[in-house]
Amino acid sequence: MSLVLHDYELDSDSYKVRLLLSALGIEYSKVAVNVHPGHEQRSPAYLRLNPLGNLPILVDGDTTLRDSGAILCYLARLHDGDGQWLPADSQRFGEVMVWLFFASADLAPATLARLHDMLEVPADRDAAIAASRRAFRIMDDHMTKRELEGFAWFVGDHATLADIAVFPAIALSRDFGVDHDEYPALRRWMRRVRTIPGFITMPGIPDYH
Amino acid sequence: MGFAAGWYALALGDGLEPGTSAGTQLFDKELVVWRDASGASHVWEDRCPHRGMRLSFGFVRGNHIACLYHGWQYDEAGQCRHIPAHPSLEVPETIKVPTYASVEAAGMIWVQSAPEATEPPPADFAAVPVRSLYLDRAPEMVALLLEAGLAGSFESLSSSTFGIALDGADLFLALQPYGAERSALHIARTGGDLSPKDIAVWAEDLRATLEALPAIAPASAARQAGALA
Ligand SMILES: N[C@@H](CCC(=O)N[C@@H](CS)C(=O)NCC(=O)O)C(=O)O
Ligand code: FES
Repeated sequence: MSLVLHDYELDSDSYKVRLLLSALGIEYSKVAVNVHPGHEQRSPAYLRLNPLGNLPILVDGDTTLRDSGAILCYLARLHDGDGQWLPADSQRFGEVMVWLFFASADLAPATLARLHDMLEVPADRDAAIAASRRAFRIMDDHMTKRELEGFAWFVGDHATLADIAVFPAIALSRDFGVDHDEYPALRRWMRRVRTIPGFITMPGIPDYH
Repeated sequence: MGFAAGWYALALGDGLEPGTSAGTQLFDKELVVWRDASGASHVWEDRCPHRGMRLSFGFVRGNHIACLYHGWQYDEAGQCRHIPAHPSLEVPETIKVPTYASVEAAGMIWVQSAPEATEPPPADFAAVPVRSLYLDRAPEMVALLLEAGLAGSFESLSSSTFGIALDGADLFLALQPYGAERSALHIARTGGDLSPKDIAVWAEDLRATLEALPAIAPASAARQAGALA
């Protein structure tokens, strides 16, 4: 077994993969990439692993994968025999996919706003924040209706990849000045995410105790 | 027009679980609403006396709220009781978080915006809490648009509370003047049996309407309301 995650501690996409690996209890080794200030992810050696020049990158024997959503699905398919995280049932599977694509497209402005404020990555900050708030509102409306129908998670009746994929953007939103005041259903759901066995934090997501 | 000092809803009561806290704002002032382990709710200034961290970022431990930054702990009266860096210190009485009078009524947590307000606290009545709706719109304008009937056949119960009949259900809405350009509407069902989920869907439409309607002047609101009466 030689599962290697090329990782950056402050990267919210790398965190999604660390979180799932921890929840699944999978052993792996971590290579810390010097993103700031080194931009090592854009070095020639790293561009050969991932021409997009971003993280995370997962290497599993002959398999090299980029994109946190793809890596989450790969790990779930390989190591989650019960199909908890990536359900086999087509309806549930489709619903999980909706939130995985939402995480990579509609929550991208939240990732950008955070990188802008923390690492001075160039961005139209106002536009990124407005788009982040639109996405968080969609998430809060969803969880509001889910709770009113007696459900606790984004999809189905237990935690799935959907919850892991959308969690970091809102949990880290204070890094770019968006408070949780307007998202009461997400506030409650974030407390539930913290109770997932194997849950781990990252810098910016406080450990409660 | 502005809002007088008085009682304003800040949250739905059952949305705040025991042992949790939430940040909010009233007239742009940051407040923390929290529920202790025994179930009692509290509304305080959301600012730790130590270095000014928002207390709503911290966590509730039993009947104390602990600051995320350096772990100072405050009891139900806002009095600091424990400083981890100086565990044996008898904490001076002067280290205290300013607190607000608050009550729970009609399924909502209400705060008295200023101690000099003389209005009695809101009456309690049976209500099924549905959801809190946050709007990017000035609270004065939200009140005007609701009073003018431009977003539905609302009835003004006070300057910040409204009623509406919807598909056989009676709804009660309490307006929270969150900030200069932001508002919240806390929504409960007071009669009928329309499902909370259906009311939540209606509320999303109400938010879209209230955010999109062109601004109106107070006089025209009065005229509109008169014409409808
Ligand atoms: N600085 C004062 C009290 C402040 C204090 O408690 N400081 C500790 C832990 S709670 C700390 O880590 N302070 C970090 C800081 O000063 O920013 C002292 O140590 O007498
Ligand atoms: S700021 Fe709250 S304990 Fe230091």
